[in-house]
Amino acid sequence: MNKKTIEALQVLSISLIWVLFTGIAVWIVSLLRESLRLHDAPDASVGISIIAIPVFFTLASILTYVFIGLRKGRKEESEP
Amino acid sequence: MKWGMVIDLQKCTGCGECAAACKLENNVAIVEPRESEMGRTMLWMDMLTIYEGEYPRLRVRQIPRPCMHCDHPPCTKVCPVRATYMNEEGIVAQIYPQCIGCRYCMAACPYTVKSFNWYKPSFPPGMDRATNPDVSVRPVGVVEKCTFCIHRLQMAKEQAKFEARDLREGDFQPACADSCPTGAIVFGDLENRDHQVNHLAHSPRAEKLLEDLGTEPKVIYLKEVD
Amino acid sequence: MEHASARPHPDAALLNPIENPGRTYYYIVVGLLVIILYTGFVYFRQLWYGLGVTGMAQPVTWGFYIINFVFFIGISHAGTLISAILRLSKAEWRRPITRMAEVITAIVLAIGGLHPIIDLGRPDRISHLFFNGRLQSPLLWDVASITAYFTASTIYLYIPLIPDIAILRDRGVKPRWLYEFLSWGWQGTERQHKVLDRAMNILMVMVIPIAVSVHTIISYIFAMTVQPGWHSTIFGPYFVVGAIFSGIAAILVLMIVFRKVFHLEGYLKHIHFNYLSILLLIMSLIWFYFTFSEYLTGFYGHEPNEMRVFWYKFAGDFAPYFWAMIVCNFALPVAILCNSKTRTIPGILIASISVIIGMWMERLIIVVPSLANPRLPYPTGIYIPSHTEWMLFLGGISVFILGYMIFARFFPVISIWEIEEGRHESAKIVAERITSYMPDPEPSATGE
Repeated sequence: MNKKTIEALQVLSISLIWVLFTGIAVWIVSLLRESLRLHDAPDASVGISIIAIPVFFTLASILTYVFIGLRKGRKEESEP
Repeated sequence: MKWGMVIDLQKCTGCGECAAACKLENNVAIVEPRESEMGRTMLWMDMLTIYEGEYPRLRVRQIPRPCMHCDHPPCTKVCPVRATYMNEEGIVAQIYPQCIGCRYCMAACPYTVKSFNWYKPSFPPGMDRATNPDVSVRPVGVVEKCTFCIHRLQMAKEQAKFEARDLREGDFQPACADSCPTGAIVFGDLENRDHQVNHLAHSPRAEKLLEDLGTEPKVIYLKEVD
Repeated sequence: MEHASARPHPDAALLNPIENPGRTYYYIVVGLLVIILYTGFVYFRQLWYGLGVTGMAQPVTWGFYIINFVFFIGISHAGTLISAILRLSKAEWRRPITRMAEVITAIVLAIGGLHPIIDLGRPDRISHLFFNGRLQSPLLWDVASITAYFTASTIYLYIPLIPDIAILRDRGVKPRWLYEFLSWGWQGTERQHKVLDRAMNILMVMVIPIAVSVHTIISYIFAMTVQPGWHSTIFGPYFVVGAIFSGIAAILVLMIVFRKVFHLEGYLKHIHFNYLSILLLIMSLIWFYFTFSEYLTGFYGHEPNEMRVFWYKFAGDFAPYFWAMIVCNFALPVAILCNSKTRTIPGILIASISVIIGMWMERLIIVVPSLANPRLPYPTGIYIPSHTEWMLFLGGISVFILGYMIFARFFPVISIWEIEEGRHESAKIVAERITSYMPDPEPSATGE
């Protein structure tokens, strides 16, 4: 497999992780709205969402940070 | 409006008619004897065996036990998909097509009133064609329990609407109350002063099962006085 | 590049299983696949007929699946949590251990996370959790926390793996595209090391609270009900302690197995086992302390319903399991590990296996007796797991072994670059650190 495809796949996988985590966040928010509507333990639900959503986004950010950091940290292309 | 039930143990003979009527009314599956021995009997209205006193003066009696329809139900709180909830009239209802069968509500119920469809509901030959058309037969893998014959309430409401009047006391009676030969089971609106249950619930004989758990059951027992 | 693998590598022993897997490897894989296939068939049968094929009934409505769920998730605490704690406390002896521990977490968590789904009466309705879920239920807290832990621990496994993947890539190990894809262009420059270190530092700190929350929330499934034996405030920490306890035992067993199979005696030395087994000993004592206070409060309070569950465990149907648990989790490991003469590798292996069995029994003892003793006078049911449940348990273990074998086939189970880093730098770093602990040479009198 050539370098271009692999690079494209890497970018794709990182984007997929963001899609996944955004999906989880959307899901938690929708659960939160449901619990507010039904009045069942909205306080607990808000608490969980406040903790859970940032956790997922921090994880995704760390991955992205490493990905970008490693690319920037590469040596100058020495071999063709 | 808050539907509730009063069971007068002074009148109750422990005959089990209510349990049988309930089973037929609600199409509760009749499991095979082998399954029943494993503890998979399905009863929405069960007969509890209560032992009172010690050996020489031992008394054994059977008391009917429907779902308590708690005002603070431990089961609805733990359901992950809102397959069980308390409606505005105080009935703890089950939504069978919603249930994912995790059985958390069964584990959380301190009265152990819930049954699970371990297999597809089965009926003895002949009976499968005589199920009550007003009540759906549950699919495999869901939890079920006494609903205070909620289908009868719907029909009574429709009838009252059709006749352009309010719901009367006798309009809505669950199958157990209907069938009780001694009139020990009384059903009605606990908040309505005209209803018999309202008076009975305030009787000095009134007691609730496991009252100290704070579940506020809406099934009230009138204890025996000798 | 083609002949790169001919170059002798200082850590050839670690690369050997990847470069020359050998024939036995495939025999074992096939054997495991047969078990897993049969398990799949058994599960399909359960899907087809309903949960009736299990031994569960009323009132014991939760059985092996929930027990194994708690057990597997407990084992998963081995990894990430312990490796994060060791990394954070700068324990230099962690270097050959962390990777193995993290892999356990990722695999076991995936298996454990599936168990509640196996337990569902209607797994076809699982989408209801997403569209109609209610955050009020502890089960959904679990879904959220296990997802977070799984992703966090996978990332925590992956990021320190990148330099090793690059080593494999540079040696031209097949499949090359896989290593090329996963190595993210690692070349070992200073800047890349800095990025990696920073990311690992953040992850380490993040992973610990997530791991603690996971088992706490699993305990909440039980503790949030009002059932006797479950409704207890100690449950959160009790479960976490049990989880770390069984986790350490699992790491020790795996370390011993890998040491034997891959001839890693040079890497996993007696001192590693010694340190970890002392940790196991400490956890055993803490576990006993928690168990003791849990049951003593129940016993002293003497609430009738609580007491029925209590006697059911101490002298009733579950007494054999209860006392076996005490022996497996406390008496035996403490007896073996207290004495440095018996704290040898076979001794540690026996102690660890006994702890794993004991912790499984602990989960059994938590789940079943409370359900078997309802408050109202029902005929108490007994729970006898069926063939289906045993098979799914065995299948779960087989998936774990297979998963670990597949990982070990493609990636080194001991972190090569961290070992190398240790060879070059640890002695200096540790020496500097020790100097910094020392009191200053003389109280400074310069200011006056």
